[in-house]
Amino acid sequence: MLKEKSRWKKLLSFIQFCFIPLFAFLMIVIIPFISGVFNTFTDFNGIEMTKMVGVENYRKALTDKTFWSTLWLTIQYVLCSVIFTNLIAFLLALLVTSKIKGKHFLRSVFFMPNLIGGVILGFIWQFIFSKFMVYIGDATGIALFQYSWLIDTNKGFWAMVIVSVWQMSGYLMLIYIAGFIGIPKEVLEASSIDGATKIKQLVHIRIPLMIQAFTIAVFLTIKNSFMVYDLNLSLTNGGPYRSTEMITMHIYNEAFLFQAYGTGQAKAVILFVIVAAVAITQVLITKRMEVES
Amino acid sequence: MKKLSVVLAVVLVLSLFTGCQENKDTPDKGNVTNGGDVSGDTSNNENSKEAVEVTILGTIKSEIGEAFEEAVATYNQSQKQFKITIIPMDGQNPFEKMTALYASGHAPTIMVMGQEMAEFKDRLLDLSETEFTKLAFPGTQANATMDGKILGMPFTVEGFGLLYNKKVLNEAVGGTFDPAEIQTRTDLKELLDQIEALDGTKAVHLSPMDWSLGAHVTNILFSTQAKKADFMNGLKAGSINLMDNEIYHGWLDTFDLLMEYNIHEASPLSGDYDGGTIDLANGKVGLWFMGNWAYAPLHELNPESEFGIMPYPISDNPEDYGNTHISVGVPMYMVVDKERSSQQEQEGAVDFLTWLVTSSEGQDYFVNQMNFIPTFNGFETMPKDYMSKEILRYTEEGRTLEWMNMKYPADGWPAMGASMQKYLNGVIDQEALAEEFEAYWEKQ
Repeated sequence: MLKEKSRWKKLLSFIQFCFIPLFAFLMIVIIPFISGVFNTFTDFNGIEMTKMVGVENYRKALTDKTFWSTLWLTIQYVLCSVIFTNLIAFLLALLVTSKIKGKHFLRSVFFMPNLIGGVILGFIWQFIFSKFMVYIGDATGIALFQYSWLIDTNKGFWAMVIVSVWQMSGYLMLIYIAGFIGIPKEVLEASSIDGATKIKQLVHIRIPLMIQAFTIAVFLTIKNSFMVYDLNLSLTNGGPYRSTEMITMHIYNEAFLFQAYGTGQAKAVILFVIVAAVAITQVLITKRMEVES
Repeated sequence: MKKLSVVLAVVLVLSLFTGCQENKDTPDKGNVTNGGDVSGDTSNNENSKEAVEVTILGTIKSEIGEAFEEAVATYNQSQKQFKITIIPMDGQNPFEKMTALYASGHAPTIMVMGQEMAEFKDRLLDLSETEFTKLAFPGTQANATMDGKILGMPFTVEGFGLLYNKKVLNEAVGGTFDPAEIQTRTDLKELLDQIEALDGTKAVHLSPMDWSLGAHVTNILFSTQAKKADFMNGLKAGSINLMDNEIYHGWLDTFDLLMEYNIHEASPLSGDYDGGTIDLANGKVGLWFMGNWAYAPLHELNPESEFGIMPYPISDNPEDYGNTHISVGVPMYMVVDKERSSQQEQEGAVDFLTWLVTSSEGQDYFVNQMNFIPTFNGFETMPKDYMSKEILRYTEEGRTLEWMNMKYPADGWPAMGASMQKYLNGVIDQEALAEEFEAYWEKQ
């Protein structure tokens, strides 16, 4: 009897505190998501629907060659940006948690790029790639900088990777710093008494103890890189000849530019499934690697 | 105390619900008025003399935003019955914004549409009986006529072709340049050589934007065909082999010529719209493939120089159709919503559009401030700039090519534009380009 009452009380206080956020979440995320998935089975054209069309939209989406080629390009982009961003962020974190001078200043400097919004950042870098670099190329005669990177298929891709790494690594650095700081001092002291070198300490003690930071950081980069749009839009806008069009831009164009809501939305659902699968696998794997001191 | 907070929370949530409810009501009310079931509402508004608010989506084009806002302000002051309000576009694309507004029940009353019109045709007001429809030039309403009703007001005509800097060309030919002398590809080549002979001047700026290549350059291929409709249908059916099409080769040979004399020849994708404007305005190049919408920025950069427009020749025979023609068409139509807007709002919309093209104030904004070429009879104000006058002359002489690109599917220009960029960049040749075009059209 008493137990039941306390459960009721708990539920009541839960509702008291969480109803409004839950309500907002339901209205803004859950319901639009469900209606979005539902719409992929209809002939919804953005204004109204007249009939159900079954899996027709999915058939069209899956048989579209450009969908697969942009998806493949996006996967390459995700791989590159996840690896480089995390590597650089980790090294930066290592640097600013060491005993160098001005580490607090450096922390804020490295974090700064993250404070610039995606589109503005894109335009700044667009200027750097298409005007400044070309200027350097003209002045020095270095062939690499002679023409804008953004009009070349491969260089355009790498330009995007560079900018996203530059933007994200400062943010992830914070997560890694938190990971480093969270390591108990005793363990490190004990290991140094046992004669472990700095490198050995890093590989065998510090990294295993901060796997949690990796879980979060890798998850964030995977998600962010799959969903990249603003950078793509402001840097290359998919050019040249739509060869740097990432999956999100492809979906947006399909739905709004080419006025094919059904297939666009179906592609978005497929992308959701893929990203969810990748992210869950990653979290499960890294979770298993987590150890406690 | 706890009970009180629970009650408060519930009240708060309920008020949220009612808030939503109220919002939802507004468009429905408009609907009922539209149907004419509730007449009390309508008369009330008239009696109270409160101006009816009529919404318009965007400012037609971002380039003329300020001038359009001024025109709206002048109209709002000129009468008390209606008040036009501009809904900002927020940088979204029009189709996205329109569908979102329709889906939420807050559709604007006046919208600017092009190819989208077919999708919305059941929601648009029949404008057949309006004054401006009767004044419009014949043929300008063709693309806005659906199911026997005229649903759009042809807002202006635009022309594209080879824009030229008159001063540079006068210097190049050593006298007064006459565009009528350029009737074949050979003539064009001579002119290009003459321009190159000048100090520090390249002949052409060829812009690599996909809309320019995909919608405008390709238009010449489609509209110079002897049987335009059959050509497009044949491409869809897969029965046309572009490599056997004489015009296809002629069209690309001219393109090759322009590529050869391009200021960005070494890196053809480097150019952009702003670059083209600057190059032509400052006389760094003599020619630029673009349309008269670029006149305002060109004039702003170099008010002293005059800019004209001339045809893109597709062969060496001056008699061939297209060699003395420029592409002229109606880029957009003003349409009025009848589904979500009340009777009065619709009336206000028609009144505003009529004012814009019939009153002397409206015409002044239309021609002088917004730089549009009028498509209506009885215009007292006519464009004074050389390029607009040239376009009007081509139109009067019937030397215009139809805008076949209005009949492309929605993804037509990005797809063909991407293929043209590859061709421009030297990644593919004429045969591969033909294959890409054929593959695209067969999917339609």
